[in-house]
Amino acid sequence: MSAAPTLDLASIPDRIQSEVQRAILRSVKGVEYFASSGPALGSTPKDILSIRGTMRLYHYRPLADEIYRVPILIVMATTNRGYIMDMVPGQSFIEFLLKRGYDVYMLDWTAPKPEEQSLRMEDYVLDFIPHCLRLVQEDSGEQDVNVIGYCFGGVLSLLYASIHPDGPVRSLICFTTPIDFREMTLFQNFSDRRYFDVDRLVDAVGNVPPEMILSSFEMLRPASRAITQIQLWDNIWNDEYVKSYRMFDRWATDTLPLAGEYFRGITKDLMWDNKLFNGTMSVGGRGADLAKIKVPLLHAVAEHDHIVPYEAARHLIPMVGSSDKEEVILKGGHVSLVAGANAVKRLWPKLDSWLCGRST
Amino acid sequence: MSDKITDPVVLWQKMLGEMEKGFNSLANQALASPQFSKAMNQAGGVTAGAHKQLGDIMEKYFISMNMPSRSQMVGVAERLQTIEGQLNDIKLLLQEMQKQTGTMRPASAPARPPRTRQPPAASLPSGDKT
Repeated sequence: MSAAPTLDLASIPDRIQSEVQRAILRSVKGVEYFASSGPALGSTPKDILSIRGTMRLYHYRPLADEIYRVPILIVMATTNRGYIMDMVPGQSFIEFLLKRGYDVYMLDWTAPKPEEQSLRMEDYVLDFIPHCLRLVQEDSGEQDVNVIGYCFGGVLSLLYASIHPDGPVRSLICFTTPIDFREMTLFQNFSDRRYFDVDRLVDAVGNVPPEMILSSFEMLRPASRAITQIQLWDNIWNDEYVKSYRMFDRWATDTLPLAGEYFRGITKDLMWDNKLFNGTMSVGGRGADLAKIKVPLLHAVAEHDHIVPYEAARHLIPMVGSSDKEEVILKGGHVSLVAGANAVKRLWPKLDSWLCGRST
Repeated sequence: MSDKITDPVVLWQKMLGEMEKGFNSLANQALASPQFSKAMNQAGGVTAGAHKQLGDIMEKYFISMNMPSRSQMVGVAERLQTIEGQLNDIKLLLQEMQKQTGTMRPASAPARPPRTRQPPAASLPSGDKT
């Protein structure tokens, strides 16, 4: 049984002094905040291997003297920029992988141009991903490639792997990847087919604007932006807090537009008909059955993920045909699972211990 | 040492956290209703159409004024980012050359490390491999 809380009167003067100092620092740092830019993000040295419209393929320069045989291709979600994987030194997933001896490539996205509004799911799954895998094979000289997909990048990777069970994917790692789209309850409601006319929207706007994507993410936690601003002011004296805030805020608001036809396909096939979960998904006329995936698979999900709830993600492991498969549930949210202090101590070491034995 | 329960700063932070959870939970109930979906999509449909029309008009206006539009500026910004990236690469290469030779003389491209790394013995997978 714990003792009742008591007020330590002797500590009050120190506490007051500390708060006065913080109040002064808030004023000084508050001015500095608006007069300065945030930390440079995505600065790990890399080479561009291919640019095709919205698609970018990067190769990061190795940081170890000896690297694993099998290279890694990271497939980024199409809604956000890939620098979430490469924030700042010490908090960069890419840097972590490079230092642990992996050879890392990234398939990243930029805003699709108006003339790219006709891009469809098949362009991403049957063209961009195979194109990048070929380039990774050529550049590394290795036939096998390990693939890591984040969020919807995981969906794209799964679709590719299910259509190409004999393809070059040696093992697959998915982070917070949705399978049962009925369980993304708020997104389901926003795109309720009785009220949401996706054809009208896409026909009207072409590419779906980033403001709309961002609003739909922010509506999942409508109070959080205001509270975060208050917390920022509260902690503005703390340089580390501000640095972290600026990194994540910049990334979260740096949302990408989505190609119109691609968005139409996602809405109809996944949000409305839930085809991936039902086993009826096809891409470009080719069946995408998760049971055909036989390669080793790791699925990392976050305990407090408000974007892809566990209920939406938990079906992946039972549905794939792999015998070597594992799901790990880690503390954190959709973003803190993969980046920031939480990821440094939880996901990254777990991933390294799983992947290193499958990279030789 | 003061107990955290009596610390007003901790109490304030805790209250903020609870407020956030409470507001989000309350709002999520409203956002999950069919009425919200109907209202949002009605408003959103009108807004999206108007947004598109306004964008098209502005694009034409900027062309007629011989000024770059937003999409052209975004294109320029992306190209600038690529150029900045390449400049950074050149800078790093020059720094590497300086380290290697002590001069600005170009050196051959650094060789890739050998792909011979082995995992620590304890990390080998125990499950069936396919």
